[in-house]
Amino acid sequence: MTSYGMVFDVKRCIGCNACTVACKQENSLPDGVFFTRTLSAEVGEFPNVSRTYLPTICNHCEDAPCEKVCPSGATYSRDDGIVMVDGALCIGCGSCAVACPYDMRTKIEETQLTNGLFGEGNLTPFEEQGYTRFECGTFTKCDFCSERVDAGKDPACVATCPTDARVFGDLDNPDSKVSRLIRDRVGRQPLPEKNTRPKVFYID
Amino acid sequence: MTDQTPVQNSMKSGTWKKSSCKMCIHSCNTVVHVTDDGVINKIEGDPDSPANMGRLCPKGNAAIMRHYDPTRFKTPLKRTNPEKGPGIDPMWEPISWEEAMETTIRELKTSIDEDPRKLLPSIADFQKLYLWAWPLVVGNSNYFSTAGSFCGGGYHPMNGFIHSTFAAANDVNYCNYWINNGSGDGFSSHLHTAAQAFHVANARVERNMRVVCVEPRLSIGGAKAEEWVPIKPASDRHFALGLCHVLIEEGLCDYETLKHDTNAPYLVGEDGYFIRDSDGKAYVWDGKDNKAKTYDDKSIGEFAIEGTYEVEGKACKPSFQRFKDILAECTPEQMSEITTVPAETIRRIAREFSTAAEIGNNITIDGRDLPLRPAGYNYYRGAHAHKYSSQSNHAFKLVNMLVGSIDVPGGHVGATLDDQKVDNGHVAEGDSGQLLGTPHQLGPHPGFSYPPDNMDLMSYFPLGVHPGHLNVEVWNNPEKFSLDFKPDVMLICHSNPIWSLPGKREDWFKIMREMRFIVAIDIVPNDTNAFADIILPGHDSLESWNMTMIEPPHTEGMCLRQPMTDPLYDTRSEEDIFNDISEGLGLLEVWNTILNIVNGFEESPNLKLELDQKHSDKEMARRKGLNWNGKDLDWYIEHGHAVTPRRTDKWYKPWQGLRLNFYIEDIVRERDGLRKAMDTAEVPIRDEWHWDDYQPLPTPVLEPVLRDNDEYDLYAITFKDIQLNFGESLSNPWIKDIVYRDPVHTALQLNTKTAAAKGLEHGDLVLVESKYGKIYGRLGLTEGIHPETIGVSNSLSRMMSQNAGVPYGGGHFNDMLPADLENTDACSAQCESVCRVKLTKLDHIPDELKGEGSLYSYSDGRAAQ
Repeated sequence: MTSYGMVFDVKRCIGCNACTVACKQENSLPDGVFFTRTLSAEVGEFPNVSRTYLPTICNHCEDAPCEKVCPSGATYSRDDGIVMVDGALCIGCGSCAVACPYDMRTKIEETQLTNGLFGEGNLTPFEEQGYTRFECGTFTKCDFCSERVDAGKDPACVATCPTDARVFGDLDNPDSKVSRLIRDRVGRQPLPEKNTRPKVFYID
Repeated sequence: MTDQTPVQNSMKSGTWKKSSCKMCIHSCNTVVHVTDDGVINKIEGDPDSPANMGRLCPKGNAAIMRHYDPTRFKTPLKRTNPEKGPGIDPMWEPISWEEAMETTIRELKTSIDEDPRKLLPSIADFQKLYLWAWPLVVGNSNYFSTAGSFCGGGYHPMNGFIHSTFAAANDVNYCNYWINNGSGDGFSSHLHTAAQAFHVANARVERNMRVVCVEPRLSIGGAKAEEWVPIKPASDRHFALGLCHVLIEEGLCDYETLKHDTNAPYLVGEDGYFIRDSDGKAYVWDGKDNKAKTYDDKSIGEFAIEGTYEVEGKACKPSFQRFKDILAECTPEQMSEITTVPAETIRRIAREFSTAAEIGNNITIDGRDLPLRPAGYNYYRGAHAHKYSSQSNHAFKLVNMLVGSIDVPGGHVGATLDDQKVDNGHVAEGDSGQLLGTPHQLGPHPGFSYPPDNMDLMSYFPLGVHPGHLNVEVWNNPEKFSLDFKPDVMLICHSNPIWSLPGKREDWFKIMREMRFIVAIDIVPNDTNAFADIILPGHDSLESWNMTMIEPPHTEGMCLRQPMTDPLYDTRSEEDIFNDISEGLGLLEVWNTILNIVNGFEESPNLKLELDQKHSDKEMARRKGLNWNGKDLDWYIEHGHAVTPRRTDKWYKPWQGLRLNFYIEDIVRERDGLRKAMDTAEVPIRDEWHWDDYQPLPTPVLEPVLRDNDEYDLYAITFKDIQLNFGESLSNPWIKDIVYRDPVHTALQLNTKTAAAKGLEHGDLVLVESKYGKIYGRLGLTEGIHPETIGVSNSLSRMMSQNAGVPYGGGHFNDMLPADLENTDACSAQCESVCRVKLTKLDHIPDELKGEGSLYSYSDGRAAQ
């Protein structure tokens, strides 16, 4: 059985947000919509201070709260563990956004699709070919670039990461790079106390 | 999903083509996806490139938004509003190419016929460097941009002296101890960032390479480093000299290398020149025979590098001893007072650096036995861009040279700009067995002239890079500088000097307004082309051809750019435009002759451009590719690039058998040559010239900015990160969407305790004033900045301009910098990049920042709220 997951190597991450922009490129995301982003926080006091960069993404939880609360069946898990959203079925109730402890659900507003990235309704050809995937008023999120994954490619954010801070692979395969990193460098899941069984792991 | 049609852009039906990025001056290799409907919908790094290996930085990922930017210039334009200034609508009127070119050629010709020096060119496409040479067509050597002042006035000439290269980088292949001083290399900027960041991350994680970042602000590199060493701005040279002091005092140097591979033993007389025999050969002192011998005497038993001697009746010392004498005043304690870095930290880092260098260790690579020195001191603009830039650059190089880590595995290695042919070497033998210093990496010096032929006074900087910032001082004081011409026409090509030059914006606006005619070749509106009379719209990087190699660290080879679609608009290539202008001036043959020289076609008769023909961007790309490796364009279209790792014979010790310039006698020689020329010509300002800036070895002289008065109690620095670079970056919606959510880029960075001492709080609106200019901003308090420093992100230095997509901030950092001779290195032409400032808290937003296009008007949670 395949169970896809991701490892974020915090030691490697330089907070450049190439992942964020690659995701916007791949998924035609409107202004202000993110499927992934990298946060930063200062740690310590001058002069013993550093800044940590923390990539975030949908954790594709095994016990996904968003899936449990979805009343329409729009949110579902594939056999390989990728948590999907079918925009055609989403009724825009927002339960998923409330349930997700990681704030990874985003509503697609009509104005975002009509204003366009440059504003004033000036949609570029890029947006015109891309926004057709979205249903106004529905809630969306990262799907690990499932179409790329099905074609044997890494998700866009992983492929572009300049420092290899994002690694994608099969958690069920003990020899996969993600499994080895989690094992060798003690991968930690975000908010484990929520018992969502995230498939995203952080290593330092 | 109910619909089986792919929704992810890279999975849609279409074609992939190989190309190269142009979202910064470098050229990461890309693959570009075009849908069956002809829409460019995904750009990725080329996984087959040994440089970036499939990676791209955020800017590269955002190139599509430049391509489809609705504000792009779509046709040639003519200005109809005679009033010019920031934010003033030029009221463009579309015109035909015929009319645009006819007007351009006529207006250029009017001035050039009168005096070719009346043209002020600002040509700055770094991926088509041959365009920079166009003014030579009319015998013009003016320069109205910032290559010297904001890139590497001191950096490039010093790389030329030390490595005979344009740039330099620490060797990612073997380095284990990486000092980054005022540089984003490997983390956030400079030299193919995405590529270098990949290799540096691997070295850190897989090899446990230690990174020490020495800088006033905790940059990305500082955040990832094992150690951040906060340093007072403009005191980096003193930190380096402190390291040198310890390395020598504690005997931690690579003495074998110093004696045999550098000119450290060469005897220097009191006049600063080597003592030579009648054949001109430099003397050294044989410590075994206790007598002077020429450097190449086979009987030398021991190269003395210390002591005082008398040779040919002249008192002299080995150049190493001269440096040691200078360092007597550079103890860690003395340097600590200037840098604020604790003396013990300076000592410890010097010891760690020497230990990490594994002095005496060797490695065999490709059959060559080479020194292995896995320690490198890397630096860039933050560290060197000061009044005494040449000395600063030299000091950083000497830290490396003392432990033998110049151009060896693991050390600090020179990176060529563009070798043109795969087998071209870049080193030559100079005088007395030394590596020939090649300070003019961007082309030959225009030569001394009086009255000066260049409004930036380049003729007085025989070792410098064009000091574009001096245009304003000379323009304002033509009599003082004996200027016997007045420029009145400007040619701009992919350049935004009004955004990037230091000094008061108003002074630069004045020059622009006084131009009789300005033509700009560009893609999107910016601060500078807002002053143009004619816009000639160029193809963007997804519509054009190019072939380039641009100072890659650790790889080499030509990178192809090819059109992904037909041009979206009625645009042309730069080649077509310059060919037509040249032809219109009756100078096409001259232009082709120059192109043959600067592209290295002269040596390849089959590639020489036909002088009477016009060569397209595609043809130029084809010939440059052929010149590199004999492969025709179809090969490049398939492969995208000819990039390989730097071949070890060119990367490591390409100068084997020659000696490195520990002591740079050429600096003394050029100083005296200039002085003689100025005396002969009776140049009135010769007595004001800063002759002491010419030093063959670095000294601890204090930067003027460190000597300024205490009324201005903080040092202001500016910085950029990997997300943004040019003035236009922030017209890109994807770049905006990440930059304006980053606290580092939305507020003035001030140390928490400094703020507390001043009674200032996070979010306070402040006026920042230097004695030259001012900016406004909101304070963002941080622990990650030196307490005497205020950090101003590049993202905040945005003015009101015709590009409404770029929100304007609270003024321009560069307004606070001096653009004058007083703060210019007379040796390298570098200007100071740091200023002293004072803060005043304001209780309301100034009216000028209340407009709709202001950064302060954002209301969606982003930016400086």
